[in-house]
Amino acid sequence: MAEEILNAPQYDDAALEKEYLEKRKAQIEEDYKEPFDPDVVLEVRHLRKCFPMKKTITGKVTKELVAVDDVSFKLKAGETLGIVGESGCGKTTTGRAILKLHEPTAGQIIFDGKDITHYNSSQMRSIRKQMQIIFQDPYSSLPPRSTVGGILSEPVEVHKIVPKDQVKNYVLELMDKCGLRDYYYERYPHEFSGGQRQRICIARALSVNPKLVICDEPVSALDVSIQAQIINLLKKLQRERNLAYVFISHDLSVVKFISDKIGVMYLGAMMEFGTKEDIFRNPLHPYTKALFSAVPNPDPTAKTERIKLEGDIPSPANPPKGCRFHTRCPYAKEVCKHVPPEYKEYEEGHFAACHLLDGE
Amino acid sequence: MEELKNQENVSQEAVDTELPLDKNVRLMSPTQMLVRRFFRSKLSIIGLVMVIGLFVFSFLGPLVYTQWGETDLDESGKLEYTTATTTYTVGGVEYTLHQTVEKTMKDNFLAAPSAEHPLGTDNQGYDVLARLMYGGRVSLIVSFMTVILLTVLGVIIGGIAGYFGGAVDNVIMRICDILMCLPGIPILLIISSAMDGWVSLGWVEEGMRIYILMLFLTMISWPGTARLVRGQILSLREQEYMVAAEAMGFSTGRKIFKHLVPNVMPQLIVQMSLSLGSMILYEATLSYLNMGIKAPYTAWGSMINIITTDPNILQNYLNVWVPAGVCIVIAVLGFNFVGDGLRDALDPKGRR
Amino acid sequence: MSEKKKSYLTGKEIRAIAKENAKIIKRLEAYKNRKAEEAEFLTQMHDDANILEIDDLHTFFFTEQGVVKAVNGVSYSVPKNAVVGVVGESGCGKSVTSMSVMRLIQGPAGQIVDGSIRFKSHEYKRDAKGEPVKDENGNYEMEDKVYDIAKMPISEIHRIRGKQVAMIFQEPMTSLNPVFTIGQQLDEVTFIHTPGATKEMAKAKSEEMLRLVGIIPENVYNAFPHELSGGMRQRVMIAMALAAEPRLIIADEPTTALDVTIQAQILDLLQDIKNKIDGSILLITHDLGVIAEMADFVVVMYAGKVIEQGTVYEIFQNPMHPYTVGLQKSKPTMTLDDGVELYNIPGNVPNPINMPDHCYFKERCAKCTAKCSGEYPGMIQVSPTHYVACHLYNEEDSNNG
Repeated sequence: MAEEILNAPQYDDAALEKEYLEKRKAQIEEDYKEPFDPDVVLEVRHLRKCFPMKKTITGKVTKELVAVDDVSFKLKAGETLGIVGESGCGKTTTGRAILKLHEPTAGQIIFDGKDITHYNSSQMRSIRKQMQIIFQDPYSSLPPRSTVGGILSEPVEVHKIVPKDQVKNYVLELMDKCGLRDYYYERYPHEFSGGQRQRICIARALSVNPKLVICDEPVSALDVSIQAQIINLLKKLQRERNLAYVFISHDLSVVKFISDKIGVMYLGAMMEFGTKEDIFRNPLHPYTKALFSAVPNPDPTAKTERIKLEGDIPSPANPPKGCRFHTRCPYAKEVCKHVPPEYKEYEEGHFAACHLLDGE
Repeated sequence: MEELKNQENVSQEAVDTELPLDKNVRLMSPTQMLVRRFFRSKLSIIGLVMVIGLFVFSFLGPLVYTQWGETDLDESGKLEYTTATTTYTVGGVEYTLHQTVEKTMKDNFLAAPSAEHPLGTDNQGYDVLARLMYGGRVSLIVSFMTVILLTVLGVIIGGIAGYFGGAVDNVIMRICDILMCLPGIPILLIISSAMDGWVSLGWVEEGMRIYILMLFLTMISWPGTARLVRGQILSLREQEYMVAAEAMGFSTGRKIFKHLVPNVMPQLIVQMSLSLGSMILYEATLSYLNMGIKAPYTAWGSMINIITTDPNILQNYLNVWVPAGVCIVIAVLGFNFVGDGLRDALDPKGRR
Repeated sequence: MSEKKKSYLTGKEIRAIAKENAKIIKRLEAYKNRKAEEAEFLTQMHDDANILEIDDLHTFFFTEQGVVKAVNGVSYSVPKNAVVGVVGESGCGKSVTSMSVMRLIQGPAGQIVDGSIRFKSHEYKRDAKGEPVKDENGNYEMEDKVYDIAKMPISEIHRIRGKQVAMIFQEPMTSLNPVFTIGQQLDEVTFIHTPGATKEMAKAKSEEMLRLVGIIPENVYNAFPHELSGGMRQRVMIAMALAAEPRLIIADEPTTALDVTIQAQILDLLQDIKNKIDGSILLITHDLGVIAEMADFVVVMYAGKVIEQGTVYEIFQNPMHPYTVGLQKSKPTMTLDDGVELYNIPGNVPNPINMPDHCYFKERCAKCTAKCSGEYPGMIQVSPTHYVACHLYNEEDSNNG
């Protein structure tokens, strides 16, 4: 026992962190210089978003909450990227940072071949109509004192999508596409059920002909039978308009259904990223495996063996040192507690960050 | 098997099928809901009756009751008897002399209520009922104008503070804090004294005094509204439809005035009707302190001020000053009841 | 304009509704607040193996816009030591049914209009003065009584609430009082429900309960609710529900607000507890996966009615009602093939005001026939435990036709 302790590798956390940061900085610099891929609608490189938690009286930030730490991916037109993770994993912040609704702290956002990271708000305004967002709560995402017609025609008018006299026809056509009756035009949002409101939200997002739509848990607040309607609607519209989706959800089965690529996030960092086939056929990261096995199976005869995760998700304000997941990982080793694992490509297009994969 | 096929078809079409809103089901429109909730409370009905009553009385009353105008003195004259008793001693015998002097006064002042003057006349000889009506006009107009002005000011300043946040918010809120520390009445007293000077210099007209005073009152009382608006906007700004508006690339002005302000309206209307009550009180206080409207014009507060001229009126001529007091009470109560009723009607969560 | 007008109620109709509601509410409130002898609400179970029998329950909400029949003739029973899962979409009345059992329906708008809720309670035997009776060994005597909860005056409801029937809510963030420690809140349960409990007894009991839900008591007993995570709070809520040793635990969406991995922990815990305690669980959820893992019996509700009920195997392997079938198919699963369009049930749940006379699912049903426009289908027994309310399975008709 004593020998084991003596022979155990010694870790100097401070030195390791410094080394890690330097290595990462060099890597990031290098990545930034890469040319933009013209086929890609959205590319995110090393996105990082911190929120200030404590400030001194002069406004100097002394403590930060790292909501998103080093997230990278590419997304082509007509593709769906699913981001899964539990609460506090930074998936919503990622979505909003891409739209620059939160100003990213570091990283690059390349939209349609243009680096929009440092666009100011008036430059953003011109590009806004190409990227839209759909929210989780269909109740708070529609202004309560406008009619459906008003909600849908406002963006069309502001961005001058069609001439003024055709706005109403355009909106009615759009409503029809999204499965909304034309006489809803005069109605107020509070008269509709959740599913219908979500259709209105989708219609509003599509009214400006975007190329990219961020779907932030669009079906989580809906009933199962309505969920299916909305998912099918989203898929149909994607086929028709060659849209790119970033589909954020905590529901693995929904993400699996709709996505082409999947990213698994935990405490602000990407744990695993790959095509849907890769992720489901061959999940690499223990967190991904645990997440899959935690989904209750609606088949009473199948008794799935669960990978049990002990304990709670740590607070994002105080993430664990080393690998973020080591506090709950059933396979954690000593090295996991000290050294952050490298985010590497293990198969073609299949990335993961885990020490266990560099196995002995 | 056929059934299965049938189902497949349904699922294909299902995307486009959306059942119409149930035709058999008719709900209440938002306005109906509001009206229904407002009128459910007896107090709001009473309040509304009071307020409407006062308006009709002040604005339509003078059209019906035309015998006396605001500045018409009853010059029918009045006989005033003064009795003097003198005691003097002549040769050890004490004499008491009762002397009654009959004097014909120009004006018929302090007349008792009669057919000609339903509420009598005051110490100058003005008809109390007519003065009550015209005084009401001044009180209501002044308080309405003040409230509208301070709401506009509050919305703009509070909106800016709430929307932009950060340093702007900080500065505006500190100004609010300072203004809220200032005592209203003493400041108005000072300004009023200063205004005596301005009047004599001919810078302002005497009739404008109350309006200028209330303007100053507005200047120091907007922080309440500004804080309300700022708080509302801070919470509304986090609502997803505001994030959606941001994502739509709407301009800042559109976001504030088309999306935020209409959603603050319910709270604003409540705040406005509640502050109407307090503005009426302020106006009455100023007039009572003789800093508001000056003779020959009048307001409710000035009519009560008459009691300070002669204790005899306070005691024996209730008809001169009590009606004005009642009007003030009715106005303040009425606006507060309406405000409470509106708050309950507009905020469904606050209900049981 | 006329279109708009037609779709809203007129002032006259609004007043008529308000008048009608006020009349009914007044009568029901008087019934609820009456004084009654115990004999008036004592009854007998129809089947002695059950601890809860809900029989033709009607719970309505009398709103300004009309009567919402949230629970409209619901019958099901909870056998002893079993887990009954109630599943359905929002607005189907699953929660209102359980709130009716606890008599937590918010008056004056919400009222139990008709039906009975028979509950077999196991409580301290009390003498005429209401003092608990001790036997010769000095232990408190226990007895079984069957109450009709729907007929109980509200002043007597304390006999059931908390002590015999405990409830676990969806929102662990708001169900605990933030100003008291976990220990204080747990001890209180014991003080209220156990006669003659001392401080030490209560603390021992609380710690036992915390251990039962997998919490080390030392860490949590003196903590305040805000210091705990969502999963921990839900564990504490379960411990609180268990502390009074209730006969029936109503778990209303106990895992909906939790993350998947935490949900898995809580489900395991509930599984574990189910075997340890002497009581039944009524599990209300919209998640079919949770039902499949937890329940022995399943009740499927739609628009205020039970449309199908049976054992968990019957419901999941041989679902009969088109709604149950559709519900199961429209949930994407981890094993679903790619590329196919997800099955979905078209349309929305009908508006709960002015429900039609025919089957409520007719407009959304892919299999509906001419018969479905007739009256609402009755419950048809297809196996000793499996019932379904659908015209498709009406034997007589298919024979005749």
